[in-house]
Amino acid sequence: MPGMKTFLMPDRRSFLKTAAAAVTASLAAPYIVRAQEKILYVNTWGGPWEAAAKANLIDPFTAETGIQVKTVSPVSFAKLAQQVKTGTYEFDVTTLGGGELVRANQAGIIEELEAPYEGGLFENGVASHAFATVIAWRTDKYKEAPKTWADFWNVEKFPGGRSLQRYAARVIPIALLADGVAVEDLYPLDIDRAFKSLDKIKDHVRVWWTAGAQSTQILRDGEIDMIGIWHGRYFEAEKAGAPVAMTWNQGEIERAYWVVAKDTPNLDNAKKFVEFATSAKPLAGFAKAADYGALNPASNEFVSAEDAKRMPTSPENYKLTFEQDMANFGADPAELAERFEEWVAS
Amino acid sequence: MGMSLSRLTEKTNIWPWLLLAPLGIYMLVFFVVPLADVAIMSFTEPRVSFADYQKVLTGTLYQRVFVNTFATAAFVTLSCLAVGYPLAYLMAHSKPRTAMLILLLVTMSFWTSFLVRTYSWMVLLGNNGPLIAFLQMIGIEQPPQLLFTRFSSTLAMVHILAPYMIMNIYSVMKKIDPALIRSAESLGAKGWSLFRHVYLPLTAPGIANGSVLVFVICLGFYVTPVLLGSPREQMIAGLIGHQIEEFLAFGLGSAMAMVLLVVTLIILTIYHRRFGLDKLWG
Repeated sequence: MPGMKTFLMPDRRSFLKTAAAAVTASLAAPYIVRAQEKILYVNTWGGPWEAAAKANLIDPFTAETGIQVKTVSPVSFAKLAQQVKTGTYEFDVTTLGGGELVRANQAGIIEELEAPYEGGLFENGVASHAFATVIAWRTDKYKEAPKTWADFWNVEKFPGGRSLQRYAARVIPIALLADGVAVEDLYPLDIDRAFKSLDKIKDHVRVWWTAGAQSTQILRDGEIDMIGIWHGRYFEAEKAGAPVAMTWNQGEIERAYWVVAKDTPNLDNAKKFVEFATSAKPLAGFAKAADYGALNPASNEFVSAEDAKRMPTSPENYKLTFEQDMANFGADPAELAERFEEWVAS
Repeated sequence: MGMSLSRLTEKTNIWPWLLLAPLGIYMLVFFVVPLADVAIMSFTEPRVSFADYQKVLTGTLYQRVFVNTFATAAFVTLSCLAVGYPLAYLMAHSKPRTAMLILLLVTMSFWTSFLVRTYSWMVLLGNNGPLIAFLQMIGIEQPPQLLFTRFSSTLAMVHILAPYMIMNIYSVMKKIDPALIRSAESLGAKGWSLFRHVYLPLTAPGIANGSVLVFVICLGFYVTPVLLGSPREQMIAGLIGHQIEEFLAFGLGSAMAMVLLVVTLIILTIYHRRFGLDKLWG
């Protein structure tokens, strides 16, 4: 078929060249488009979190600066590390918890930042919002309200199924409080004592939950009677009309921080976004919509008294809670997690 | 490149290879290269050493999870066989209309998202679900806990994987020449001995195909045991995800993945020697 020769098979070498060029071009296409348009890519948790971020952080940011923003979800710590390694950036900014932040900063995978408000910077992350792991229970099961983690551990007074998050760094401080350690003596953590305390509750923990939606579902449907749950997830069950209650007492607060991926080609816009997202008004709106507590103190004036009741950072609630102390943790999180997983499986 | 194309193809017969090229390049770029990357990471991340392999092969946690993974996969495979074989038989040997109906039900279950099927079991087996309500209604005051046990996760995995078994066995049963059964009967075989010596051996390839598929897919299961199972059972896929997502332990995660891959390949090799891998898709 000599007539088709030039079209189909010019010759082998140039065919391969063209094919290789085509493959390269299509693989690189998203990156090329991005570099031209300078769109900022924000990593989100998706769902209601993303809706709250879009309405309060992203859209107002675009309106003010003209910088286009697109979202990528879900939040992936592993991806943050991989993109710095490979130089291919799927997102420019993301949020991290305290433990991850310390590791990310040690690993050098996030950019150096400056504090946009006083006390707002920790390990190159800008403190944004906080959530609390609180005690919640079924009111159709218990007449008397449990008040402390010691009550959570007390299966004689409060018989029934329990649930906690399958996350060592969050469960260990709780186990120590249940064992009678005072909040001020908590850190650095006494890991051996914590595991001894956990042994006592182990047989009653029917579910070690791994996803937020899962924790809401088992509380709402009454699969368990008492649970250590994120406060936002608790309010979802309450909103659904389930017979449930919670206490802020001994709630375990953790902070979430905005970080910028190291060496991103979009550095300036990424920094601008982080500054905007942690400024008083947008942050207040986001924290309210996503059931968090704002960490920028200036946000408080934009929060109504009614909304403040639902936030772990409002003065009323905050004094009942305690904060995770990542700088003074007392254990290597990875080793701790391995020991914890081994303990759960045995 | 002076040679004309037609002469070139006659000599080396490159046409089949050219037709395969798009898929080949795709597999190379998106499967072979990343897999090789994982293999390399398993002993270079964060530095060159075999410490991660040592950990995976000797650590009690990893041993326990590996044993649990393979034991679960084996049990699920046997259960799928026990459920699937009679159903496939019914499909292969009933009237076309009935067979169609069963086939429809099996494929409908097959095409439903496995997450949906997992959650359905949560509803059915839950404390406020219909099964517990029924048990209470017939007078059992303290019904057994069904959800979050080994029972519930195994039940759901069997439900999710049974179609693979049923389809494989069914397609083999359909191809069995009825004359073989008739001649066996005419030679005096009946009942159990007809089944044991004639029918069962004829369906063996279907059993082997279905089993190997169910077993290998089950090895990689993650979400179902996490959502439905007891806290004590964990599958290796969950542990790999945890190591990478929470701790950036790419080396350890990769080493676990490689061990899982090698063990799976050994099983497939044994299967290939015995039955031939090329028969896997009928």
